[in-house]
Amino acid sequence: MLRPTFRLTVAPVPVARQQRRPQRPIAAILAALLIAVALLPLTAAAQTPSPAQLAEQIRSRLTRAQLALAADRAQAAALVDESDSIYTADLGPQLRPIAPDADRTIAADLAVARAAVARGDAAAYAAARASIWTAMLAGAYAAADTSLAAGDVAAAQRWLSLREYRHSTRFLRPDADATRALHSAASGQMSIPDASAALHAELLDTYQAKLTEALSDVRAADRQGFAMRRAEAGALADGYFAILAPSLAQQRGEPARAAASGAFSELAAVALRGGDLDAATLSAEQSIAGFRAAPLSQADQVRRAGQLMRFLALVPVEYSRGVAGGKVTKDLELREATTFHDGALAAFNDLRSLLEQRDAPATAQMAAQFAAIETLLASANAQSAADPAALDAQVAALDASLRAVMPQEWLRHNNAADFDVIQTALDQMERAVAAGDYELAESARLEAYAILESGPEAKLIVFAPQFKPSLESLFWYGQEERKGLAHLIGQRASQQEIRQSRQALNAELASAQKALVGNNAPMAVGTNAAVIVFREGLEAVLILASLMGSMKFGEQRKLRRPLWAGAALALGASALTWVAAQGALTMLARYGERLEAIVSLIAIGVLLLITNWFFHDVYWKGWMSNFHQQKRRMTGGQLGQTIGLVTLGFASIYREGFETVLFLQALVLESGAATVLAGVAAGLAATVGVGLVVFLLQAKLPHKKMLIATGMMIVFVLMQMVGNTVHVMQVVGWMSIHPIRSLDLPYWAGMWFGLYATWEGIALQIAAGLFTIGSYFVAERMQHAKQDAVIRSQTARAS
Amino acid sequence: MAPTSTPTTWLRWSSAALLAIALAGCGAPSASAPTSVEAPAATAAATSTAADLAPVKDYLVERSGELSSATAALKTHSDAYYALAKQANFDYAALWSTNRAAVIAVIQDARAAWVVASPGYERIEGIVAGVPSLAAFDVVIDAGTSGTDGGENVAPVDLALPNGRMLAKPGNLFGVTESTLWGTFPEYTIKQVQADFDADGSIGFGEALPDANVLKAGVDTLHEQTVALGAAAQAWQPTEQDAFTALVTMVPTMTEYFNSWKSSRFVAGGSSTQRDFVAISRLADIQDILGSLQVVHRGVSPVISQVDPAQDAQIGQGLSELKAFVADVYAKERRGERFTAEDADLLGSEAQSRADTITGHVTQAAAKLNIALQ
Repeated sequence: MLRPTFRLTVAPVPVARQQRRPQRPIAAILAALLIAVALLPLTAAAQTPSPAQLAEQIRSRLTRAQLALAADRAQAAALVDESDSIYTADLGPQLRPIAPDADRTIAADLAVARAAVARGDAAAYAAARASIWTAMLAGAYAAADTSLAAGDVAAAQRWLSLREYRHSTRFLRPDADATRALHSAASGQMSIPDASAALHAELLDTYQAKLTEALSDVRAADRQGFAMRRAEAGALADGYFAILAPSLAQQRGEPARAAASGAFSELAAVALRGGDLDAATLSAEQSIAGFRAAPLSQADQVRRAGQLMRFLALVPVEYSRGVAGGKVTKDLELREATTFHDGALAAFNDLRSLLEQRDAPATAQMAAQFAAIETLLASANAQSAADPAALDAQVAALDASLRAVMPQEWLRHNNAADFDVIQTALDQMERAVAAGDYELAESARLEAYAILESGPEAKLIVFAPQFKPSLESLFWYGQEERKGLAHLIGQRASQQEIRQSRQALNAELASAQKALVGNNAPMAVGTNAAVIVFREGLEAVLILASLMGSMKFGEQRKLRRPLWAGAALALGASALTWVAAQGALTMLARYGERLEAIVSLIAIGVLLLITNWFFHDVYWKGWMSNFHQQKRRMTGGQLGQTIGLVTLGFASIYREGFETVLFLQALVLESGAATVLAGVAAGLAATVGVGLVVFLLQAKLPHKKMLIATGMMIVFVLMQMVGNTVHVMQVVGWMSIHPIRSLDLPYWAGMWFGLYATWEGIALQIAAGLFTIGSYFVAERMQHAKQDAVIRSQTARAS
Repeated sequence: MAPTSTPTTWLRWSSAALLAIALAGCGAPSASAPTSVEAPAATAAATSTAADLAPVKDYLVERSGELSSATAALKTHSDAYYALAKQANFDYAALWSTNRAAVIAVIQDARAAWVVASPGYERIEGIVAGVPSLAAFDVVIDAGTSGTDGGENVAPVDLALPNGRMLAKPGNLFGVTESTLWGTFPEYTIKQVQADFDADGSIGFGEALPDANVLKAGVDTLHEQTVALGAAAQAWQPTEQDAFTALVTMVPTMTEYFNSWKSSRFVAGGSSTQRDFVAISRLADIQDILGSLQVVHRGVSPVISQVDPAQDAQIGQGLSELKAFVADVYAKERRGERFTAEDADLLGSEAQSRADTITGHVTQAAAKLNIALQ
């Protein structure tokens, strides 16, 4: 029984007041009385057993009666009587006015149960017990719905506590949407219709799952020859269907409901008396084929489909890592393969009825394909395991089957599903850490990051760029309050430390996911693509346009060619990356940062060389003279210059080209090529526009001003490039991180200027700036020295 | 004017301007950066009463200490058996014929120690297996399958036997030691010796000589693991999220326990081919596990009561009644009552139904408290 707790928490208040203010005892006592009177209904409510508690008292007695029936019929009868009394005195009066149908069923079945006990008929008793239970569930559901519709949320909450829950598994915890919805409705944060929708969705979903279990139990009990269990499961199936029947009528009409009701009644009868149970079960199943009592919303369908395809694709990846030489070599990898398979299967089951509506035979075939994969995974052990190629083929076939049946909108990339899969991969990481397998943990971390990189990050960098640095920091080598996961895994940190960083990462991921909601309209995706192309292309265009703009006379113009050639090569390489990334997006995304770091280093090296050369040979000697001198001196020098310019042209573009390709492809998967290409075209147009402006300005400027502008531009881009490269090297752990704690930089400082608050980043940016400017001064001094020498020589000659 | 003066001046000013821009960026307030992102769900529970999880940790630390003492005792007997076998140069036939009484005594002692150690673990399994940061111990110590059985729960442990042999992924350590001590897995026993312990002329259940190498390796590793578990328990900082996750993870596992009980010799009798759970009924294990989950529930009860006292009472009552239900069946079993497979099925279904309801309530409470389950 419940004990009232409200009195205990409230009573001390007036007493305390009385102690502090003895001069006003009457007022204090009055206050206490008023509070006590006000709380009386609450106290009384707390003392009254809830419908769920009353139902549980009835259910447990009826079960005990069933267990006692064979050995002690009198005890069983007494227990049924007790149940009847509780129902008649307490639950029935509450249920009758709101759910009269359920009340009638319960009363009738209690009589059936009593009669069955009297004649010792265990099967009939079991069926009656199941029917009483499902009628109580149906009555409570109706009562909760009616109360809510009448605006009595408190009553709805009381009735909602009498319900069943889906069986909890690693992938599926009981839902709490209805509870949350009523909670919100009670506080006025949710409308009654919305709360009602949540209530229906969760309860219908739960009871449909229970119906599926009951149908499976009928067959299992029959196979084992358990007559009592079979009768019980048959009656349960019939009772759960009765709860779903109104939904079926609503979706398919009254005749379909009547036909299905007949089929389930027949199943219950056959399960009780014996007969062709297979036919009866099949008939019941067929009567609701493709029916989903609580239809998934369009958003949920897309999300489940996204999970399904993502999880399925990861099954062979994990399997191939765990199996070698015809046996399992890494148990945890195999376990992860199974985990992903189960995740995919759970999503498939959620979508199954919808797929059946589109193509029932193909859906049945897909279920068989899932079962075959499950068998293959389950049979893999330390002695033998199927060839990974065989699993690859099975998964590829299933993937093709799914793609053939799924509607096109399901196949579009879905960020919500990506975030779900990221969480699963991070769960794996934690499990691997717990098992002491840090290598596997690192692999799972990379997997999670690759999903982020190949999916939501393309949107994040435009719509919520503030999350990019923190997510990178927590995924990689961040040294903030919570250290990055790559760093912790590399250090073999404790589970506790890794857990704390994971939780911090979870919070950031949740916020990022929230920030992305609603940014999937074609216009938004097109803008997304345009901004990515513009931002990533700007640096390259600034370098190339300013250099080319400065090469405007005679022989200088020829130097544009190697730059063009390098740029063309980079575009070709980006196109090849595009092709390679198709179908292997996640795999390539694991290496994105590292490749960017390497190419950036090359770009910076070449840019420093070019800058040095530019100041020494261009500012002070002029392009032509230098060019001819070099030509005369050694051909190798010109060759080196050409290679340098080609490399610069290539590295400037491909530095960001790789990642841009990944981002764009993620957007194509979500919204189709046309939308993204339109965005790319707009982005390119803007980038080329900026390039043209820079180029024309350079070309129109007087020679000296042009040289200065070019130098300025190079210094600016170089510093930005150094800052970003240091950052990406710190992200992947190739450079130490010493944060400047007192410096709070906005995210855009990093995005546009390469400014990140670390000593390494700022120091190297300054060093790069100083190098370039110093290079200028050294060149200046050399030129002065040369001019002085010429003057001295001329003076000497004159004298 | 010198030909270089203009570019020099421009460059100097421009460089200064660039640096100024850069430094201005350094000091700029982060207008649109997230100054405070949403707190993780686990810590977002706006509760004025905190969960009292110290008793949960105390319980775990105390019981895991008892467990490692029990496995230390088991190790003493396992070592004694190994010494006897070694003395006989691992000639078990000679050992049995020359030192029968001592061999039986030491095996009985080892079994008695095992029967103390195993429930010692079951009493904390609800917490160890339910708390994600400790769950790996459960797979190794009590729940993992063997590499041969495969599946997703293979115990990641190899046993290096004193004779140099390596047993790759033999399964969880209580399972290995149980099947070795009671002779339910021929590979771990001495097949060529008919060890008729009670000299009644027939070989009954449990009459087998353990392979001393397997027993020693299994027990030594088990002891190492329980000591490590004790250290992990000491280091564990329980959170509300841990506690709720333990409840929703472990309460609904009743079906698995009842299924293994159904196919054990306690229900199936002589026809059972089960290697594990032969010494102690799974019904006893279930009660021990539920006992530890009650400790966890008491820890979070204050916070659940705050949002829904009725629900908290239902959870507490549900756990008590489920435990009483299992205790009642166990008492009948101890009294010699035998259950049919259909009875066992019904009992398992009833236990699962109760467990699902409790889990449902815990999940709803966690949702109301905004505690994310792992």
